[in-house]
Amino acid sequence: MLEAKRLDDNARARRVAQELQPGATVALGSGLPALVPQELPSDTSIQFLTESGMLGSLVLGVEPSVHSGFLDSNGLPIAFQPGASVNSTVDLAAMLRGGQVDTAIIQVSQVSGVGDFTHWTSAETPELFGPGFSVDLAAGARRVIAMMPHVNEDGSSNIVMECSTPIDGAGCIDLIVTDIAVIGVTASGLQLLEVAQGWRADDVIALTQAQLISSQDLVEMNSGCPPFDASVNKPSEKLFASGLDALSDLPNGAVVMIDGFAGPGGTPHYLLTSLRDHGAKNLTIISNTAGIARVVNFGTPPGKQAIDHTILFDNQQVKKAIASYPVSPSASRPTAFELAYRRGEVELELVPQGTLAERLRAGGAGVAAFYTPTGVGTLISEGKETRVIDGKEYVLEEALRSDFCIIRGHQADALGNVVYKGTSRNFNSVMAPAAAVTVVEVDEVVEPGKLDPETIITPGIHVNRIVIRPSDFSAYE
Amino acid sequence: MPKEKVYTTCDNALVDIADGDTILIGGFAGFGVPRGLIAALCQKSVRGLTCVYSPGSWPEYAKPSGIGQLVANGQVEKLISAWPFTQDNGEIVKNAWRSGDLEIEIVPQGTLAERLRAAGAGLGGVFIPTGVGTRFAEGKETRTFDQYECIFELPLKADFALVKAHTADTLGNVVYRGSGRNLGPVMAMAANVSIAEAARLCEPGGIDPEAVISSGIFVNRVVQVPNP
Repeated sequence: MLEAKRLDDNARARRVAQELQPGATVALGSGLPALVPQELPSDTSIQFLTESGMLGSLVLGVEPSVHSGFLDSNGLPIAFQPGASVNSTVDLAAMLRGGQVDTAIIQVSQVSGVGDFTHWTSAETPELFGPGFSVDLAAGARRVIAMMPHVNEDGSSNIVMECSTPIDGAGCIDLIVTDIAVIGVTASGLQLLEVAQGWRADDVIALTQAQLISSQDLVEMNSGCPPFDASVNKPSEKLFASGLDALSDLPNGAVVMIDGFAGPGGTPHYLLTSLRDHGAKNLTIISNTAGIARVVNFGTPPGKQAIDHTILFDNQQVKKAIASYPVSPSASRPTAFELAYRRGEVELELVPQGTLAERLRAGGAGVAAFYTPTGVGTLISEGKETRVIDGKEYVLEEALRSDFCIIRGHQADALGNVVYKGTSRNFNSVMAPAAAVTVVEVDEVVEPGKLDPETIITPGIHVNRIVIRPSDFSAYE
Repeated sequence: MPKEKVYTTCDNALVDIADGDTILIGGFAGFGVPRGLIAALCQKSVRGLTCVYSPGSWPEYAKPSGIGQLVANGQVEKLISAWPFTQDNGEIVKNAWRSGDLEIEIVPQGTLAERLRAAGAGLGGVFIPTGVGTRFAEGKETRTFDQYECIFELPLKADFALVKAHTADTLGNVVYRGSGRNLGPVMAMAANVSIAEAARLCEPGGIDPEAVISSGIFVNRVVQVPNP
C-alpha cells in the first residue's frame, strides 16, 4: 500500500480542473491552486480571479515579464486573454462576498469532518495564523475545493475529526482533493469518492483520522475522465437581440433597479420602453428619481416628451418606489409618481441619495448592513436603530438587492465588461453588482480587449445581459 | 489657489509624521509598494508606529519593500496584516514579534479592505459574513440579517497612507498599474493625509477623467520617485 504512487502536484491540479464548468468564475488562492489553469485548454471561457485583483481568462504557456503588472495569487506574472480587468482588493472582496464567484480553490493544511479548514499560510505562521485572503475566499464562493497532501511527512492525517489549528472557515469546504483521494463533504459526513491508481479504499481510510465512508461508486482518480470538452466550452451568450428579449422572464412583483440620475443622460431609455412593453406588474422600483425628466422638460424637443419612469406609472406597473427624489422640483408640475402616490396607488420608501448609493453598494458587496451618519436626527432615522460609535451618532441602514436591474452603459464587450460615459456612471456602476440579473443597454459592443483592463468600471462578472440601444432610438416619445 | 500638493522629496512629504501615528502602506507581491516613501520613513526618527501592510505572497524576484528595515529600526510598535511574515521581511518581523517588541494583529484581507473602505466612506461600521465561526468573530458583536450571520466590523482609520501610483497629476488624481492597485484606493480614502508616490507626474488633464482611480480629493500629497 505504501509503495503505491501518489499523485504529483500537476496531476492533482488536473483533477481539480475537471470540477470547473465552462464560463464559471473561479477564485484561485495562493500556493497549489495556481497550477490548475495550466490543466485546462487555453481557450477556456473560465474567468479566473486572483488575489492580486486580476479577473479574466488566462493565456497559458507564456512567461510575461515581471514588469507586466499582472500577477497571480503567488505574485508571479501571468498573461490574460483580451477581456481581462484590473480590480482593487476591496472590489475583489466585494465580488466574493456579493456572491459573484462560483468556485474557490484553496490550499489547506487541515480539513475537519464537517468541512472546517485551516489555510496553509495560517499553519505556516503558528501563534499568529495569518490566513491571507483565504477566509474571504472560502466564505464567499458558492463551492470551495481544498487541495492538500493527505498526510504530513510524519504520517499524521490532514483530514481530521477536529482541526488542531485555529480554523479559517467553518463548514466551508465542499470537496477535498489530495494526492491519493477525492473526498466529498456532505451533510452526513465525509464520503470517499475516488482513489488514486494503485490505492484501495481501506488504505485511504486508514490514513484518514476523520471518519470516512467509501462511496458505492468509487472510481479511480484522473482515469476515464473525458478531456475538457472545448465544444461545450462556450461563454454564455450575453448579447440579446432586443430589450424585450432581455426582459422576457422578468416576473410580476419583481424588484427592479433602474439607473439614471435625473435628466436624460445615463438613463436606459430603451430598456425602460422594453419594460413597459413587457408589461410586468406590481413592480418595486429602486431608482434615484421617479419621473423627473418628463416634468422638468430640460432639452426636450417641442412636441415630444422625455422617456423616464413616468411610462411605467402611466402603465400602472409599479406598486412601490424606493427613491431619493421621486418628486418634481416644481409643485405645479408633479411627477406621475407624485400623482399616483396622492391617489394611494403606490408606496414610497424615501432614502437620501448617498444612503441609496451606499445601500446599493452594500447589496452588491455582501455587506448586510452599515452605520451611516446621514439622516441622524431627521425623519430618515425614525424607526431605525441609531447608535453612538466613537462619540458620533449613526443610523443603521440595510443593503438593497433586486431581481433585475436595467442600466445604461457606453460600451460593453462580449464578456459583459462595461465602461460608462461621463456622469452616466452615477448609479449604474453601483447597481450592476446588486441585482440577480443585470441588463445593460449600451451604444456599442466591442471586441474583448478593446476596453483597457485598467479602465473597466463594471467587470463582466456582474453583467448578465447586454442589449445595443438602437442607433435611431430617441430618449423622447 | 488650490493647495500645492506636489512635494519635491519623500522626506518633505513626510514632514509632519509623528510618533504613534497609524500608517497605511500599499502593495501586493512587491507591486505597488511605495519604496521611496518607506525608505524616507526609515530615515526619520519617528517611533511607535502602527503600520497596516498586507502584501500577499512575496515572490523571489521582488525587491525588498523596506518594511523590514523599518521594523529592524524599532520604529514599528504594531503591524496589522493578513500576511505577517513574507519572504520580504519574514525573519525580521518574526524576531521582533517573538521578542515582544512588535505587536501583530491579524485581519483577513477582504475584511481589512472593507474596514479601510468604511473609514474612507465615513461609515460607523459594517456587518459582513466573513469569519463567522472562526477566531475572527471572537469578541465581536454578531447579528443575523436575512438568515445570514454577520460580524460587526469597525472602520480602520489612519493618520497617513503611503500608496504607489503609476501616474499622478498635480491635483492628486491617480492611476495605478495592474496588481499595483490592490489596497491603494481604499488606503488613500481612509487616511487623514494620503501621499502618492508616482514614477510619472503630469499636469491636470494628463489623465483621462474616466481613467482616474483615486480622485485628487483623496490624495493630499504627491511625490515623484523614478522606478528603481
